[in-house]
Amino acid sequence: MRAFLLRRALHAVFVLWGVVSAVFFLVRLTGDPTPFLVDQTATQQEIAEARTRLGLDRALHVQYLDFLRSVPRGDFGTSIREKRPAMQMVLEHLWPATVELAAAALLLSTILAIPLGVASATHKNGAVDHASRLASLFLQSMPSFWLGLMLILLFAVELGGLLPAFGSGSLRHLILPAVTLAAAPLAQNVRLIRSGMLEVLQQDYVRTARAKGLAERFVIYRHALRNAAIPVITVTGLSLGFMLSGAVIIETVFSWPGMGRLIVQAVPGRDFPVIQAGVFVFALIFVGLNLIVDLLYTVVDPRVRLT
Amino acid sequence: MIGLARDGGAILGLIVIGGTILMAALAPALSPADPVKNSLIDRLAPPMWSAGGSAKHPLGTDTLGRDVASRLLYGARVSLIVGLAAVVVAGVLGVALGLVSGYYRGFTDDALMRLGDVQLAFPVLVLAVAVLAVLGASLANVILVLGVTGWITYARIVRGETLSLRQREFVEAARALGATDRYLLWRHILPNVLPPVTVVATFSVARTIIAEASLSFLGLGIPPPAPSWGAMLDEGRNYITTGWWLALFPGLAILLLVLGINLVGDWLRDQLDPRMERSM
Amino acid sequence: MIRHRRSLILLLLLTWPLAAAGQPAITPPRTVDGVAIDPDAELVVALADDTTNMDPRIGMGSIRSNYIRQVFEGLVDVDAQGRPVPGLALSWKPVSELTWEFALRRGVTFHDGEPFNADTVLFNLDRFFRRNFDKWGLKDVLAATSFEKTYPFVTRWEKVDDYTVRVHTSEPAPTLWDFIGREPMVPRAYTLKNGVDGLNDRPVGTGPWKMVEWKRKTSMVFERNDAYWGTAPLFRKMRFQTIPEGAARIAALRAGQVGLIEGVPPFDAPALAQDARLKVVSSPQKLSCRLYLNARPKDKYDSGGKDGLFADQRVRLALNLAINKDAIVKKIFNGYALANASPVASVSYGYAAQEAYPYDPARARTLLAEAGFRDTNPLTLQLLFPAKHYGQSFDEMTPAVAEMLKDVGVQVTLKPVDFATLLQTASKGTLPPNGGFAACRTGNNLDADDYLRDWAAIAMINWAPYPPELMSLYTATRREVDAPKRLKLLADLQRQVRDWAPVVALYQEVKVYALSARVLRFAPLPELNMDFRGVAVKR
Repeated sequence: MRAFLLRRALHAVFVLWGVVSAVFFLVRLTGDPTPFLVDQTATQQEIAEARTRLGLDRALHVQYLDFLRSVPRGDFGTSIREKRPAMQMVLEHLWPATVELAAAALLLSTILAIPLGVASATHKNGAVDHASRLASLFLQSMPSFWLGLMLILLFAVELGGLLPAFGSGSLRHLILPAVTLAAAPLAQNVRLIRSGMLEVLQQDYVRTARAKGLAERFVIYRHALRNAAIPVITVTGLSLGFMLSGAVIIETVFSWPGMGRLIVQAVPGRDFPVIQAGVFVFALIFVGLNLIVDLLYTVVDPRVRLT
Repeated sequence: MIGLARDGGAILGLIVIGGTILMAALAPALSPADPVKNSLIDRLAPPMWSAGGSAKHPLGTDTLGRDVASRLLYGARVSLIVGLAAVVVAGVLGVALGLVSGYYRGFTDDALMRLGDVQLAFPVLVLAVAVLAVLGASLANVILVLGVTGWITYARIVRGETLSLRQREFVEAARALGATDRYLLWRHILPNVLPPVTVVATFSVARTIIAEASLSFLGLGIPPPAPSWGAMLDEGRNYITTGWWLALFPGLAILLLVLGINLVGDWLRDQLDPRMERSM
Repeated sequence: MIRHRRSLILLLLLTWPLAAAGQPAITPPRTVDGVAIDPDAELVVALADDTTNMDPRIGMGSIRSNYIRQVFEGLVDVDAQGRPVPGLALSWKPVSELTWEFALRRGVTFHDGEPFNADTVLFNLDRFFRRNFDKWGLKDVLAATSFEKTYPFVTRWEKVDDYTVRVHTSEPAPTLWDFIGREPMVPRAYTLKNGVDGLNDRPVGTGPWKMVEWKRKTSMVFERNDAYWGTAPLFRKMRFQTIPEGAARIAALRAGQVGLIEGVPPFDAPALAQDARLKVVSSPQKLSCRLYLNARPKDKYDSGGKDGLFADQRVRLALNLAINKDAIVKKIFNGYALANASPVASVSYGYAAQEAYPYDPARARTLLAEAGFRDTNPLTLQLLFPAKHYGQSFDEMTPAVAEMLKDVGVQVTLKPVDFATLLQTASKGTLPPNGGFAACRTGNNLDADDYLRDWAAIAMINWAPYPPELMSLYTATRREVDAPKRLKLLADLQRQVRDWAPVVALYQEVKVYALSARVLRFAPLPELNMDFRGVAVKR
């Protein structure tokens, strides 16, 4: 276990170094942020002065080494647009908005998927199966901005303000964005569980369990689901990235003050420190959560050993 | 092709896909008008069956007076090209790197897989926005971005399969008989990794078509005036109350095509490899 | 949403000391136009974006201004028609050819109680022109507009008495009242104590609203400044809510979650106006959208040794004649736009209406042929187009304009770029000789000079520098202090600029707002910001 954790820690440091280096050079490819900081009638000289003030006129390797030195301290510099510490801005959007939305969507897409997927598999080709497959296919076949707008029009306008069209901070505000964000992964999980269950239910040990006279419910949830859950865990680990950054579209539609929109908007705004801090935090969370996913495998499937 | 006849969903899916391909291929013949040429006088005409509509524009016109039906037909081309080309880019890149990784192992494997880890930990949309800001939005660049960000999924699957295949008897036997690496990869390993790759690729086409629409929403899609279903849906969202047909038709088209591809994908998965989705 | 404040007593207790310290408490009116109002209402206003800063020096762009001008004020205020009226200054006048005098309003205090007086103005002038940093212990002042470079002829400023300030110049400066008067004033002691961070996070101004809470990218909450020197708003609380997506803003208004929205798409306006619970109002903006074409001589940009293809006046004029402005205004903007042939916004001081460029494709073709561009040797134009930046109507208009240019034989390539790339290209001067871009020009000043100086010095939006005769006419407008004479010069310059056609004029924006019928007396300004003074909310 200790060796495993050490290996993973080294691995994580490597991935983080790769990510911050990639973002450092990528943002500098997008060109100069200074035209944003000056008036439309500013002259070349004024622009050059603004660039010097930002330290962007230094040699690239000097900037890079400087950047690498300050990353471990959590110092990502000052936002070019907002003139505030970039890391502070990212953290303000991470907590609570992004965490709330991602957690709610994660719960919805996994917890709701289990009964739906199981019911689908145990009633194969029945009405429940057809309904849940159709619904999943439907949810996966719409761009999220469109689904979100339709939900707003339905729940906020047509149903007389049953749910709010924008805002954050309460459960009522969370419902529509969380449902929109969860839609595609939920649909995928239902189908994963269904096909996983169908396969597992054919296998010997499940038949044995049934033959031993164990209750059907016990067989399903104790034996079959455990195995069917593994692909769900894998896919969820991969879709965490989507929950965190792909949320930008949902954040835009629902005016949700999350991290995704902050970072993605910082690219057209050429706010290098904010992009760098945001991508770093994103990578840190992604790496951390995937470590948890790996640990989860051992809980769900005792055959998996950590090496 | 066992079971196709019994799977109504897959047949439906094939019909939808076939229909879309036909629409795309015959777009010049079927279109009532030029999809790009605008005419402000004819702006926002409703479909022919609504009050104020005319047979000249069966599905109405858009905000620039362009014929919606024609744009839909030509848009099928763009959506199919983006979906297929991006998946081919991702698939070829992923399969090649996955084969190399799994077959040669060692440093190459480590380097490629760590590169993949770095890429997965990098927010896709930030990458897309930044790359398109540098390169500019165009059909080719959208395909490039959607393709290059997808290789890792294929690489991981192929690598895993290759790792286990290279230990198998028939590969060992061929190697003992003096087969070259290249021969082994091409003749023995590649054919065996293709079925799972095909299934993943099918679902990816559907996902890419959705992703293209999302890029349009962020202003990074196929640039105007070329018609794409994603861009049409995005343009239509500001006219939900005043020009419902602008969004409805491309929305339906996306829905049906993606639905069709997913249905076929489901069937393919059942046929080729029931355990497939584990590695997705 | 318009919410009732139940804890009225608590609020009264909280605001009582302020009211007592300031002016004598005036009983606010209970009715407006015979309608009972709710003085404790909260009005939620939905905006497309949040501001990034509150320090006015960092920039007064179209988004920022709206937030900043609720809290901060300048010496010169504007009325609903966009005319200059007394703000923190009661009057301004040139006392000699080279001296302006501002008489300041008495009894004005900042939200924290700091008095506004001549010392405040001197401190602000030092901030504008980045002078006397040693005296204030400042290191630097970040600024979007470098006053010391843009207005180098302003030499010094002095306090005559506590409520009189004089500004001296080295040459006559007829627009000094405008560029100094419209710049918001920040408090001296507060800024020195809390720095720019203090101004940004907890801005303290003299304006009708005090900022009480700011959740970045979400909302800014204001409370009425009960000690305000002028007509205060007739409701207590206001929230600027960020709702980026246009369709979501309309949904929120229709659902009653917000009371006022900006940026209504032109074709939604009639539908919203039909709703009995809603109203639609609009006002022309100082936002002129144009095609900027490369008409710079080869030594004025990164050219590879070629003059800009559009240096020939006939070519630029031809392109102006090829654009069907009427179709753009009616068909794309549903009437919510103006065709304006003057380079100056129709609501600026000194604006003189100019003869429209007629829509005449045949004449355009003739002019192009005269300039040497025929079907065998067609004119090419690589047009950069910042998609998703100026709004949907702009994005619809640009391809339509490209089509109109194609109709007269111009080979247009439309190249969508992100806005930052456009700015970089324009500021570095790296347009190709046949390049151009579609963009909108906005301004925070009231005088026509704000627009006319565009072609005086090489800057990112100057791609057609004034020829010598226009430059000398422009210089004359900058030196003439006598108002009637100057207005005549300005009109003359506008006419000549119209004929010389530095840009292809497309349209001037009309901003459309939709609001709840319960919001009374809201009048849109022809400025970048909204004004809620005197606005009331029906009970």
